[in-house]
Amino acid sequence: MSLSVPDLNLRIIAPVLIVAISALVVLLGELVTSSAQKRGLGYASLVGLLAAGGAAMGLWDAHAVAFREMVRADNFGVFLTLTILAGAVLCILLSFDFTRAHRIETGEYYALILFSVTGMLLMVTAADLIIIFLALELLSLPLYILAAFKREDERSLEAGLKYFLLGAFSSAFFLYGIALVYGATGTTNLARIAASAPSEMLLIGAGLLLVGFAFKVALVPFHWWTPDVYEGAPTTITAFMSVAVKAAAFGAFLRAFLVALPALAMDWRVVLAIIAVLTMTLGNVAALLQANIKRMLAYSSIAHAGYILIALVAMGGAGVSAALFYLLAYTLTNLGAFGAVIALGEGERERLNVSDYGGLARMQPLLAAMLTVFMLSLAGFPPFAGFVGKFLIFGAAVQNGWAWLAVVGVLNSLVSVYFYLRPVVAMYMSEPVEGWGAPRVAPLVALALVLALIGVIALGVFPAPAIALAAGGLGR
Amino acid sequence: MVPFALSLLVLLPLVGAAIVLLIPKGQKSDSLIKWFAVVWSVIPLLLASYLWFVLFDPNASKMQFEEAYLWISSINVRYHVGVDGLSMPLVWLTTLLTVLGLFYSSYVIHERAREFFFMFLLLETGMIGVFVSLDFFLFYVFWELGLVPMYFLIAIWGHAEDRPQYSAIKFFLYTLVGSVLMLLAIIAMYINTSTATTPGTFDLIELATKRPFANDFVFASLAFWGIFLAFAIKVPLFPFHTWLPDAHTAAPTAGSVILAGILLKLGTYGFVRVLVPIFPQVFQANVLPIAILATISIVYGALVAMAQTDFKRLIAYSSVNHMGYVILGVAAAVAIGGANLTDRAIALNGAMLQMFNHGVITGALFFIVGILYERAHTRDLKSFGGLGAKTPVYGAILLTASFASLGLPGLAGFISEFMVFRGAFATLPLIATICVLGIVFGAAMMLWKVIQNVLLGVFDEKRWAEQEKHGVKLYDMTRFEVITLAPLLFLMVLIGVYPSVILNTLNTISVAILGQIVK
Amino acid sequence: MIPLPFYLLLAAALFCIGLFGALARRNAIAILMGIELMLNAVNINLIAFWRYIQPAAPTWDLAGQIFALFVITLAAAEAAIALALVIAIYRSRDTVNVEEVDLMKW
Repeated sequence: MSLSVPDLNLRIIAPVLIVAISALVVLLGELVTSSAQKRGLGYASLVGLLAAGGAAMGLWDAHAVAFREMVRADNFGVFLTLTILAGAVLCILLSFDFTRAHRIETGEYYALILFSVTGMLLMVTAADLIIIFLALELLSLPLYILAAFKREDERSLEAGLKYFLLGAFSSAFFLYGIALVYGATGTTNLARIAASAPSEMLLIGAGLLLVGFAFKVALVPFHWWTPDVYEGAPTTITAFMSVAVKAAAFGAFLRAFLVALPALAMDWRVVLAIIAVLTMTLGNVAALLQANIKRMLAYSSIAHAGYILIALVAMGGAGVSAALFYLLAYTLTNLGAFGAVIALGEGERERLNVSDYGGLARMQPLLAAMLTVFMLSLAGFPPFAGFVGKFLIFGAAVQNGWAWLAVVGVLNSLVSVYFYLRPVVAMYMSEPVEGWGAPRVAPLVALALVLALIGVIALGVFPAPAIALAAGGLGR
Repeated sequence: MVPFALSLLVLLPLVGAAIVLLIPKGQKSDSLIKWFAVVWSVIPLLLASYLWFVLFDPNASKMQFEEAYLWISSINVRYHVGVDGLSMPLVWLTTLLTVLGLFYSSYVIHERAREFFFMFLLLETGMIGVFVSLDFFLFYVFWELGLVPMYFLIAIWGHAEDRPQYSAIKFFLYTLVGSVLMLLAIIAMYINTSTATTPGTFDLIELATKRPFANDFVFASLAFWGIFLAFAIKVPLFPFHTWLPDAHTAAPTAGSVILAGILLKLGTYGFVRVLVPIFPQVFQANVLPIAILATISIVYGALVAMAQTDFKRLIAYSSVNHMGYVILGVAAAVAIGGANLTDRAIALNGAMLQMFNHGVITGALFFIVGILYERAHTRDLKSFGGLGAKTPVYGAILLTASFASLGLPGLAGFISEFMVFRGAFATLPLIATICVLGIVFGAAMMLWKVIQNVLLGVFDEKRWAEQEKHGVKLYDMTRFEVITLAPLLFLMVLIGVYPSVILNTLNTISVAILGQIVK
Repeated sequence: MIPLPFYLLLAAALFCIGLFGALARRNAIAILMGIELMLNAVNINLIAFWRYIQPAAPTWDLAGQIFALFVITLAAAEAAIALALVIAIYRSRDTVNVEEVDLMKW
């Protein structure tokens, strides 16, 4: 019996490895640092993430596969890798003072984030359902813990438990879907699945895969965990989940459906179009009713998943690049919005109600202006990143014959304006609320906010380079 | 030649807005901000004046001061700006009204001055941007950019008793509904003009020659009505006008001036710049319904205005009436019929001149209402009377502006309305006849409601003496108020007696536009 | 040899039992057990498919088997996290009934 040596091209997964190693280093560092030195572990994580970003840039245009075609380095994956890393860097910048104020400043916190990032990076480079599944679990398990990280806060624990139960539940469906796809085609490799003949079992498997992805990116009707988990989890983790998980899961979602299942496109496109309509509509309408800003942003993130789904339905190069650009824009914008919420907290108290934002424009004009920009970008106003993203998505939809879906999307973004403006209205037009002082913004939080702001404006005013990078990178 | 003239014009207010934000906090910072903003806003006015009166060639039908750079290469979006006879006067008017608005506000805005002047300058960038954009994507970006500051101007500095937040969000959502439909139409046109090898275009000039959906009347109609709705809401054309009275009543004086003077023009400007050249067939096929909507706006606007007791609401409804003439003129210019090019050009010239005139006249009227409101703290027409004798300067200015508004010969309004009707009688005689009613009602509302109620009659000494104890005092116009209004009054008279100053410019472009679409 | 559909039916039945347990039970631990049952049902599927669908595959292609091993490992990791969460909840709330863990509206 001969044993062939697989092609161990470690360069292809260098970003994943670097983040994984940093996670281990940070975890070990936890043992040898005093409580005053935990901040250093955060800096170490930043270094690891930046190094991974450098390694990822080295993979641009590499177009290589490794490990028996289980992972694939294409520009699609590199773009999402960088998006996720950007999200993680911003999240860690926001975390330094937040974790101290909330007394959860430990090495595990950073290590778990890094482990989760490892899973995300693996997920967007995976070219095999087995790897996608493992990556999905690797990104989810640390997040279950992180959601419950504030152990003395019952809401946080509740968020962790709910997230875990529903997450594990959905992974079982996902796994069943993989098994059926495997049974129908005899392979788990995405490209080889595409090469085999469609069958009923494959269709059922695809449907179960869809359920699994729908849970992770929070599509209606598999969205109901989102508001509770987002509300209960520590705000930095909520921010991280809302962007990075979406980027990673959508990366695998796009890859799985566009690479492996184009033969079934006739079937899943209609289903996804209906889901997109439901997701956008429910997300936006429910967000209208929320008084808690974290819940509002949770529903808004559901709605944004709906917009991105339009890009998947549109398919084609335009759809893929629109989805990638949108994910990047959404990552920066949403982290900015959450960052502003974090920056406005006072010790362990956070401004969670929209009414808490009263009069902030006078106490913190800069921060209020930033939050306004992020909200306008989420609502899709030019000249910010969110507008270009929506423009590309609706353009892709119209181009590929889904004009009605673009109409629904446009009407939805109209509804969304109303709730995105509510904190803005409170900040500029209401009187300050009793019991809140003028917020003091920590330097690192300010740095994260400024970085996000620059990104949001730059992507809005000069979107050409990012669009070019997002175009046509999905390797088959 | 001024390099990057139009880019400068767009960017200067933005830079000014940024500097306003940077002026350090201190005891005198408010007065510094006001002083700076007013002086700074004069620079775009001077630049625009120089461009129009010195460099601009009124006989050239092509775009002038053009700049074009590739902006978003993958979807062929260009930063393409330029002005012609249609946009140049409106750009100039924007810079003028901004200066006047800022100057007036520097005396009456005491709260949150920094934000006010910031928003105002940002608004100017948005408005100029729309007028100079020759790329539909860029046009849309500026279109939306102007929306946000106006929203804040109404919501924050609006009159507290007029539900400013409600009015602001109503204005915002109405405009947004229209503009998102326009966005879809923009995307559709882009995709329709693209081929397998070449990308589509957002360029307004190219679109006018390529005529998207030329062979597909259904899609052309969809795109047309999508864009139509965006502009019709902005104009506002009946039945999309309901946001206007609320927004106007609530807005601070300078906000109302800009809203009436410029923002409404964005809609009619869009009609002439986008709908007529790009969708001539669809427009021609739908001239009748559009002209009927214009008629309703004209007659209904005047009638409702007459029924108002609130001075500012009255002026707001009179805007519905006056903007109706613009749409009537445009419709008359493209209508199918035997009329020759001259008749059509007269109608379009009238429509374009009416845009400019309405900006001048209604801008002035909103200043006048605001000045009265500052003193009396009421806009109820019934509570005034005899102001003509009590405050003669105010009376004279109000009289002039009202006469201009109702179309008295010798003042600006007459010229444009006359031209609109002159053109409309040639192509849409029946509709034009009905619209004459609007003129009658318009005159009635100005004479009967405004002049009689406010200026004539008996001054209620007792009532105002009583009011004076509460710090309400009716006094005549102060110097800064006269300075604010003087340029507008000058323009009313100038255009009234010597319209050629502007008509030559307009005529070149309307002949060019109509020559493209009418055989 | 037992035909493939028998395995598939068994797996589907187990999956449904697990699904029912996960949905119907209110005790967090019982829900977890239901989920574990679902995962193991899939394992049966994976092994059966590997044995029946791929008899001609090269000997190194052990995808189904390896995948099942991964899933078993993963189930263990999941259980560890779940139990930790449940213990933490139990300490603060004295209950592991998910209906009573309802500070936030579903």
